[in-house]
Amino acid sequence: MKSVIIYSTNSCMYCRMAKDFFKDNKVEYTEKDVYMDENARNEMIKMTGQSGVPVIKIGEEIVIGFDKATIKELLGL
Amino acid sequence: MEIYDTTIIGFGPAGFTAALYAGRFEMKTMVIGLEFGGYTAKAGIIHNYPGVKKADGYELAKTMKEQAEEAGAKFYDGEVVEIEKKDNNFILKTKDSKTFYSKTVILATGSERRKMGLPREKELENKGIHYCVTCDGPVYVGKDIAVVGGGNAGVSAVLLASEYARKIYLLAAGEALTAEPLNVDRVKGMKEKVEILYKTQVKEFLGKERLTGLLLSREFNGSDELKIDGLFVEIGSLPANKLAKDLGIELNDRGYVKSDTSMKTNISGAFVAGDLCDVFGSFKQNITAAASGALAANSSYYYLRDLNK
Repeated sequence: MKSVIIYSTNSCMYCRMAKDFFKDNKVEYTEKDVYMDENARNEMIKMTGQSGVPVIKIGEEIVIGFDKATIKELLGL
Repeated sequence: MEIYDTTIIGFGPAGFTAALYAGRFEMKTMVIGLEFGGYTAKAGIIHNYPGVKKADGYELAKTMKEQAEEAGAKFYDGEVVEIEKKDNNFILKTKDSKTFYSKTVILATGSERRKMGLPREKELENKGIHYCVTCDGPVYVGKDIAVVGGGNAGVSAVLLASEYARKIYLLAAGEALTAEPLNVDRVKGMKEKVEILYKTQVKEFLGKERLTGLLLSREFNGSDELKIDGLFVEIGSLPANKLAKDLGIELNDRGYVKSDTSMKTNISGAFVAGDLCDVFGSFKQNITAAASGALAANSSYYYLRDLNK
């Protein structure tokens, strides 16, 4: 299984939807809270050139927003 | 061919409540939607839903969906792109080429966020311009931001953003804020953090790669340029009425579906619920959405019962 990192905020519903989706599909993920963690925030902005969450890194691919179809495809679900 | 008694379009509180009631009426019920929870899920903490003192909007929407599922409603994640009525049945087609057949439909497609319509708005989206403060507000921790909109959405956004931002400029087009008085008082009480700029509009977005400021329609502190790190646009919404139009449903002059408290439309078997309907005027709340969903399911049930007599 590819590594999955989600850059998120606690209050963001799309982040919560993404995390619920990973849990439902038994996908392990690492969460980086861009509110609490300044390094994660800067890393996300540098990596994507934008400030919207969630950003989901699957292997080396980056998905901006909770794009379920793309995430399913990248994870082979 | 599987035919549903009712198919509800929309995953917000109106659609979920309609599904709960339709399920409890033992109607064969399908719910199709794309945007889970609608504005309820994005609202952050909700203080005015009876029976729940402080509801987390996302959790409230999840519970509504679970309740409807337990009542027997089926759910399909997808976008309805075509709808027509043929031989007393409605035929719905989704973007991923699924077809659903239904004796009645309940349109609970809600509304879409209104954008500012200024040049470069799309280009700077998520690069300083945002439309969801619950999502992206925390990214601006310790930063200076502006919120456009002096109504309920704008004032609520300021209250949410005040937990993160250093300074907030609230830009209101009118001479007063038009939000709930309780929230207006709370915002006005944050004098250290919140600056309210009345009769002020954005003329232009400043910044190359990212938004760095706004050109204002009137001067503030001796300048018409306001330096900010982020902008949250909260200027209301427009009815998501495409499917209603495709069915030939009558709309009012603002594009909302004409109805009365039966939630019937001018097309027999087609009902409306939630923000799309004009029954509650501009008063669009979780409770009005839920109430209209219940009414639409009730009307749909009696419509089918009368049809089968």
